[in-house]
Amino acid sequence: MAAEQTKSGSTPQRRTLTVKPTLLGDKVFFGITSFTAYFSIALVGLVLVFLLIRAWPALQHEGINFLIGSTWDDSVQPMVMQIFPMLWGSILLALLGVLLAVPMAIALAYLIEFLAPKPIARVATLLVDLLAALPSVVIGLWGLFVFTPVAEGWSELLHKTLGWLPFFANETGNFSRSPFIAGWIVAVMIVPIITSVTREIFSQMDRDLINAAKALGGGMASTLTRVILPTASGGIVGGTLLGLGRALGETVAIFFVLNLSFDINWFDVSEARGGSIASMILSKLGEATDYEISGLMAAGVVLFVSTLIINFIAGYIVNRAQPWRK
Amino acid sequence: MAQVTQALPRPKQAPWQRRNLKNIVLITLASVLPSLLAIAITVAFSIDGAIGLVAVFLPIQILATVAVGQYLYKKRGRQDAVLMIFTIFFSTLVVVLLTSVLVSVFQRGAAMMRLSFISQNATYISSTTSLDYGGLGHAMLGSLAIVGFTTLVTVPLGVGVAIYLTESRSGSRGIVRSLIQSMSGLPSVVSGMFIYSALIVTGVSHQIGLTGSLALIPLMLPTVARVCEEALRLVPGDLRSAALGLGAPSYRMFLQVVLPAARTGIITAVLLGVARVIGETAPLLLTVNAAANTNLNIFDGPIETLPTFLFRNLSYGTDNSIQRAWGAALVVLFLVLIIFTLARTVGGDKKVAKPKKRK
Amino acid sequence: MNLSTATSHLRSEDINVWFGERHVLADVNLDFPSNQVTALIGPSGCGKSTFLRTLNRMHELIPSAGLAGSVLLDGQDIYGDGVNPVDVRIKIGMVFQKPNPFPTMSIKENILSGLKLSGRKFVNGDDIVETSLRRASIWNEVKDRLGEPAISLSGGQQQRLCIARSLAMEPEVLLMDEPCSALDPGSTRRIEETIEELSEAMTIVIVTHNMQQAQRVSHQTAFFLAEDGNPGTVVEFGSTDDVFNRPVDARTNDYVNGHFG
Repeated sequence: MAAEQTKSGSTPQRRTLTVKPTLLGDKVFFGITSFTAYFSIALVGLVLVFLLIRAWPALQHEGINFLIGSTWDDSVQPMVMQIFPMLWGSILLALLGVLLAVPMAIALAYLIEFLAPKPIARVATLLVDLLAALPSVVIGLWGLFVFTPVAEGWSELLHKTLGWLPFFANETGNFSRSPFIAGWIVAVMIVPIITSVTREIFSQMDRDLINAAKALGGGMASTLTRVILPTASGGIVGGTLLGLGRALGETVAIFFVLNLSFDINWFDVSEARGGSIASMILSKLGEATDYEISGLMAAGVVLFVSTLIINFIAGYIVNRAQPWRK
Repeated sequence: MAQVTQALPRPKQAPWQRRNLKNIVLITLASVLPSLLAIAITVAFSIDGAIGLVAVFLPIQILATVAVGQYLYKKRGRQDAVLMIFTIFFSTLVVVLLTSVLVSVFQRGAAMMRLSFISQNATYISSTTSLDYGGLGHAMLGSLAIVGFTTLVTVPLGVGVAIYLTESRSGSRGIVRSLIQSMSGLPSVVSGMFIYSALIVTGVSHQIGLTGSLALIPLMLPTVARVCEEALRLVPGDLRSAALGLGAPSYRMFLQVVLPAARTGIITAVLLGVARVIGETAPLLLTVNAAANTNLNIFDGPIETLPTFLFRNLSYGTDNSIQRAWGAALVVLFLVLIIFTLARTVGGDKKVAKPKKRK
Repeated sequence: MNLSTATSHLRSEDINVWFGERHVLADVNLDFPSNQVTALIGPSGCGKSTFLRTLNRMHELIPSAGLAGSVLLDGQDIYGDGVNPVDVRIKIGMVFQKPNPFPTMSIKENILSGLKLSGRKFVNGDDIVETSLRRASIWNEVKDRLGEPAISLSGGQQQRLCIARSLAMEPEVLLMDEPCSALDPGSTRRIEETIEELSEAMTIVIVTHNMQQAQRVSHQTAFFLAEDGNPGTVVEFGSTDDVFNRPVDARTNDYVNGHFG
């Protein structure tokens, strides 16, 4: 008997396949899990909704000045609330933190993945994970009593040697509670996240590519700059953005090491001027009037929306840079 | 007669392991001499330590390494030398910072360690009371109660999300995953403000333990969901096919096959989630009232936790209260280390649980 | 040889399969009579494993999977309205390419896992365990270590355990997807013997790359081929003896004689 196939010629009708659970047990199972998933997402929306409701009076009254104005005055009725100095302070801190953390993170990731022998790499990984687990209030305590005296010295040194640069100018002679110090603290907080993303990208890289570069006579340095970094750049950028998001939201660790003053500190990193949105909220919310609470909630909305956007973009970039995750 | 070939004696070192003496001497000199020289100069001219490190040691070290690299391997050696120095410098910096945190907390915290500090609460204790009286027992119990309730709510939620992401075939999994991922970047103070505006300003609740617990949920959830999802993903698809092929409905397949295989991963997820929130301060400052007495009831009355105890004592600013803050830091650090070690031991190999093969 | 449809137990009618928009299998009509072993052979990527998975509705678990045609078990369409895929998979068991015992369960628990997973009630579990293990001819090797983890067994033993696990469900049809491809020759021989014994009680469909194996174990053979981006089709179907020794199609002749694939 040969092939007894009936060639129908026309395109056969596709059948609908079961994609939805049919059994009661499965319906309940997937119902519950979908509920938890949607509830968790709704939580993000709820946070925004509740902050917005509370923030509305202040936002409505101040309008765009809330973001770009620089006055915070509770001696008038209704009080004036404009957060630009704090907003810029947060951005400055985040930029400083990232600037300091990225070299440390890349160096560590490179050391762990390509340079160090296994046991050292393992210890280094452990240390980075441990650093990530340290509560920010403990870092804040350390920052205030142990790190600040040391960093004041660094700051003064920078002022003496590089004081002609506008960044290190200092008129007051006081080097404490400055963005420079808080930037270091932020860097300590975000090094682990940038390191772990970078390390993950490094570890999944095609070793043949690296060997090929070496086979062509490239040294470690040229392999790093011409092969490893370009290939991993997406992941590093994503990891850095994640760090940036963390840095914007960091509260307790910098609360004690950063001065809070309502005048814009564009880039005098060693001067104790400026502040950050998060530490402003923490310091004012306790004894705020109803209307002031509204302004602080609006500040919270700004913080939340900006970190959400940054994290969303970062997540997108990191996922794209890690196709093996899918 | 068959010719017998004598095996050549095997060289002691493979060719690529051979180092010639000149290389070894030069590299050793380049790694040791600069630091000795730098120390000598710094001491001789009594230069400040930080300046010595940056302005004396680094230039000499870079110069020496680059010179040796250039001499041995030309341009390649020069570049590699610079790379080496920077990698080691920045890595050491991180290690030094971390060590400084650990050592200072252990040193200054250890001075506070005494039975009364662990076992007593802070009733009738002011910021100037002798260190021999009062402690953070109430804060430890409060943390236990608040974080315990958070865990109780968050773990089912997080595991549910992880199941949704791995087991369901819903088309919206991608967006759910992205949103959960970005939720992990939610600033903790915002989470506190959420509960503050939703429950406290509106008069629904006072600042009690429960509001604190609720404020910690959005912070713990992403960690539990992500680690759990990874654990479920590590269970081989083979096992799922096998179970479905035997006629199992999805829920039985999950409960009887996937869940047991992912058990350790899920425990790790819970531990990491607890580690994530145990030291959270800002949300609790906004949502929980301070207490000096012991209170285990999260549904009524003010309640203290370890991180807020630390924060408040730090804020009082007296010598004694700062000393108490260091003590609290040591206790928090100790707890974090324990949870951290547990998570490492339980989920160490990141593989599906496999019983040992019997010999 | 006359394979009358009247006695056929399982039957596929005009099966077409898509993954997304890619048409991977076209117009497959095959009869699988009771107590016969049917071998599905063909080069990699010809759709034979995919076809096997349509026979017990494992196919639809792959996202983007599409299907046309029907699969009849005793004349009843297993894709019909109101037919529960779970019931289909209970009647039509499956053994996979790689041995996949449940690692968290003991040998005994593995055998009973199907009954528990499908929510069936049973009384004398020990009897079921013994019977199933005997039918998969592995009883003597494991009878003293039923409580041990299943993955303490060797690869060949694990695969026979998986067969026993399917047998505990008392399926009417057993589908086997290259069950010996990961095993040594000794284990392969034992499993082939098992297949022969089992065929007295059930219908067996086996996908295999090994043409000697197809000749040794099967009564009838279907040769699948997918040419140059076209969907896979059945080029030749008939008694194993005919397909291997008197192939009608030149391509079948080339394949069974090892000229390609």
